[in-house]
Amino acid sequence: MRLYKLLYVLPILLGVGLLAFLPVEDKISDRLEIGSKAPLTDVKVTDVSGEVLTLEEVADKNGLLVNFSCNTCPWVEAWEDRYNPISKLAEENDIGVIMLNPNAAIRDDGESMKDMQARAKSSGYDFYYALDEGAKLAEAFGATRTPDVFLFNSSMELVYTGAIDDNAKAAEEVEQPFLKNAIKNLVSGKGIDPKTTKALGCTIKWPK
Amino acid sequence: MRNSKYAAFFICFVLFMVGSINESAGQTGSDKELLKDASGKELQEIISSYQGDKAVLVNVWATWCAPCIEEFPYIVDLQKKYEEELHVVFISADFPGQRSKALEFLQEQNVNWTTYFKTGKDQAFIEALSSDWSGALPFTKVLNKDGEIIASWEQGAEYEKFERYIKKAINN
Repeated sequence: MRLYKLLYVLPILLGVGLLAFLPVEDKISDRLEIGSKAPLTDVKVTDVSGEVLTLEEVADKNGLLVNFSCNTCPWVEAWEDRYNPISKLAEENDIGVIMLNPNAAIRDDGESMKDMQARAKSSGYDFYYALDEGAKLAEAFGATRTPDVFLFNSSMELVYTGAIDDNAKAAEEVEQPFLKNAIKNLVSGKGIDPKTTKALGCTIKWPK
Repeated sequence: MRNSKYAAFFICFVLFMVGSINESAGQTGSDKELLKDASGKELQEIISSYQGDKAVLVNVWATWCAPCIEEFPYIVDLQKKYEEELHVVFISADFPGQRSKALEFLQEQNVNWTTYFKTGKDQAFIEALSSDWSGALPFTKVLNKDGEIIASWEQGAEYEKFERYIKKAINN
């Protein structure tokens, strides 16, 4: 009987042991793949205006644009002059826009609702800016940094994710306006290329 | 005699001008050695050049990145502790206008080996360093002597985590 038990336990122990030799990739969760449905669309989030919303409610006829952003990241500051123009472009094309702040670990250090309200006012945000409590949405989306954008079509399937464009520091020197092109192509029914891009940004400050 | 006086004056003048130009550019020769421009492709070559010789820890940081600044001294200490077996490749991803701030920070941290300043577009830079990296800072990658990846992660880390993977890279 004991020998049988050992036969079960030994492979498990060996497996666990072998895991220790594999390369380690510390990831919070897997990033949403192109074509995936937007997760947690019924979760309530609070906007800087005090309005309580869900992603389902923010989405418009042609889709939804979600941007994970924050108050304390220089990369957000660098790209911020493009926030309103992109939001305008999306809304003109019947795509709802929401920005979510996932920096749960530093709510007392520049990322509180009060700080978000002040930022929305000083930067004149003309789109929803809501608090992602416990960074639940960021985790479900597999977002990693700020800013980090996710564009969904009318069926709430992911069609583009990644960077706003290829030049954070200078809007006038942008060579590839990835997100703008994705919005235009989504609405006109053309293919989106590239569908995924990467850019430098600040790590999300996950809850501890 | 008169000619030699002119020659001495001319040499002094040239030396003075060279000194002034260097100062106005804000970088001395040793500054340039401490922080060199490098594209993603050049960095790949630099990292590969240690293959067969030392384990490598690559760390991408920026002066504005709080977790980067927090973990930076741990990595400097570990480079000094494992000098013979490890080479740390620090890469600053600061905006071009903050180069002097990055240099100042390196000097404050007593970094005395060549480090790099990211040039070129983000996407190419990120992909050149790791296809698993999303672009969030800080980013760390540890390779063994054979150039195999032992570990890589986004987010800041404690001294013990760096040392654990450095030891693993050295012993693998």
